[in-house]
Amino acid sequence: MSRITIDPITRLEGHGRIDIFLDDQGTVENAYFQIPELRGFEQFCVGRMAEEMPVITNRICGVCPEAHHLAASKALDSVFGAEPTTAAKKLRELLYMTFFVTDHTTHFYALGGPDFIVGPDAPSSERNILGVARTVGLEVAGEVIACRKRNHEIITFLGGKSIHPVAGVPGGWSRAITAEERIQIEGAARKNIEFARFSLTLFEKIVLKNPVYLEMVTSDTYLHRTYSMGTVDANNQANFYDGLIRVVDPEGNEFAKYHPSEYREHIAERVEAWTYLKYPYLKKVGWKGLTDGIESGIYTATPLSRLNVSEGMATPLANAEYRRMYETFGCKRITAARYEPIHHRLATHWARLIELLYASERMLELALDPEITSRETRNIPDPARFVGVGIGSVEAPRGTLTHHYETDERGVLTKVNMIVGTTNNYAPISMSIKRAAERLITSSAPDESILNKIEMAFRLYDPCFSCATHFLPGKMPLTVSVRDSQGGLLREMRRKG
Amino acid sequence: MKGMRQTSPSPTLPRWRELISSPQRGEVGRGESVSGTVIIGMGNPLLSDDGVGVAVAAAVAERLKHRMDLTVTELHTGGIRLMEAMAGYKRAVVVDAMLSGAPPGTLQRFDPKDFVTTKNTFSSHDTDFATAYELGRMAGVPLPEQVSFWGIEGREFDLFGERFTDEVAAALPGAVNRIVAEIMEWEGAV
Repeated sequence: MSRITIDPITRLEGHGRIDIFLDDQGTVENAYFQIPELRGFEQFCVGRMAEEMPVITNRICGVCPEAHHLAASKALDSVFGAEPTTAAKKLRELLYMTFFVTDHTTHFYALGGPDFIVGPDAPSSERNILGVARTVGLEVAGEVIACRKRNHEIITFLGGKSIHPVAGVPGGWSRAITAEERIQIEGAARKNIEFARFSLTLFEKIVLKNPVYLEMVTSDTYLHRTYSMGTVDANNQANFYDGLIRVVDPEGNEFAKYHPSEYREHIAERVEAWTYLKYPYLKKVGWKGLTDGIESGIYTATPLSRLNVSEGMATPLANAEYRRMYETFGCKRITAARYEPIHHRLATHWARLIELLYASERMLELALDPEITSRETRNIPDPARFVGVGIGSVEAPRGTLTHHYETDERGVLTKVNMIVGTTNNYAPISMSIKRAAERLITSSAPDESILNKIEMAFRLYDPCFSCATHFLPGKMPLTVSVRDSQGGLLREMRRKG
Repeated sequence: MKGMRQTSPSPTLPRWRELISSPQRGEVGRGESVSGTVIIGMGNPLLSDDGVGVAVAAAVAERLKHRMDLTVTELHTGGIRLMEAMAGYKRAVVVDAMLSGAPPGTLQRFDPKDFVTTKNTFSSHDTDFATAYELGRMAGVPLPEQVSFWGIEGREFDLFGERFTDEVAAALPGAVNRIVAEIMEWEGAV
């Protein structure tokens, strides 16, 4: 048996990597994905006051601190039995939409887009945001930077601090916004909508109008028929800040809908002997191994899965794009507003841009809401209503994020559990890598463009390696070791940036 | 608005120049001259030795803040964020933990031209620093004339905790002294 290792996270501890095992005929037998595990988080938190959690957890991940801050704040609302005011909920969602715009924009232009805009076979030195700017126009580089700037400014005053927000408190939000700030937010939201529309136009021109890319997106190389998960509002439409968790089966039938606090009744974690990764799966379907289909409890929590569970989008421009995507894939309508799920994983990039447009439009709606400048941003917790247990959940850009805290009667933490966005997708990521490897590797010495196409299978999930950042020079390095059945090294390739 | 029928967006591209906002120091922008020094401590202060860059930056700023125009910034991820954090400053010093195989506590200095990516200067969600810096240049962001990177070799990065390992704690004062000396030299204050 041969073994190919793709190691995009070349930290010296060396457990962040992709392992592809080949049999004696040189065909793919299995593929596994691993990321480093951080230790001691629960011990670090237990014994602290619960209200510290929004500022501790927002440091777990430097990429999506806003998601952790809000999930933690929502968990605290429950711990202290303090329902936030409607103005507070709107301010939280406004911060969150602003964050989604920066995050999805950055992913498309810096990570996901280069494979399409510059090309999956282009040299890695070109396949980055600079290559995108050279291909599409230098102004795009300026706009990506300007988009980040105008939204980071808003996150800073809305969240009370740059990068790591501090405004979330049990029962609400510690900072109201002024009329001038509201005007600034409205202006930024309008620019965001324009840029999101431009990005979708770009995607259409470059990907959908190119038969080679369209073939790649719609081929079965990146196809998995799993369950889909996402948070929906009272109209069963995607909402990133609040709602119920909806799961649809691979055919698109609603399988479950539950309050995030009931997650343990629906989600179990599979432990396999060969890895410390725990694979979440749908308890009521069961674990059938790393396989897709309606009999397998593996589910996906990504931009694409959020659209798959949603009855259209709640904002008009995003809804029009939503329909266009499903119709392009030839999906039949299931309900008046929803289509059969798309299982072609590369469509996640498209779904992410539709979410970008939705977040921009929703940001504008909130900025125009008369209540957004209300000073009523907090309900002070009443000790008589103290609960001592709280589960808070939001849709992080990379999937459903759940925080679960338990405290003693003084509010001191006794238990902390989290399911972070990427964790939901461990099994689908592993399957996608395996599928791509099976389809693309035809010898024990695959070339670099093949390895990039395998990397594309996990890049589309935007897996969060934040806690496992990179060490070696250059772009994302890639180490490939090809081993024979005895584990001897046949060939090693390392791609530097 | 819900359920409203809407035609697809028109393919007209936005007018870029109008979208690009006016510059601000410490943020990104166009056409502004640069001034002052920023020291950027990188890493996660809750992950053992990963927080050493943040601690060193804070200590350097404490020593120098009354003597010159110096700003200290804490940053958790690199890539585009790091480029943005130094925009508008004349000089930038970046301090980060490192995992290169050297003995824990080892201090190394890098110029941008021979820059080795330290632990947090790469962002797996966008790009490495060199690409981000080039992106900033491309976008007309006012970037520093002088940039230096300091890496301090760590030992423990995967354990939640606010304590450094012994070797790293012991190396901290020396790192602060060397960085203070460099900034003083840059500023012509020696």
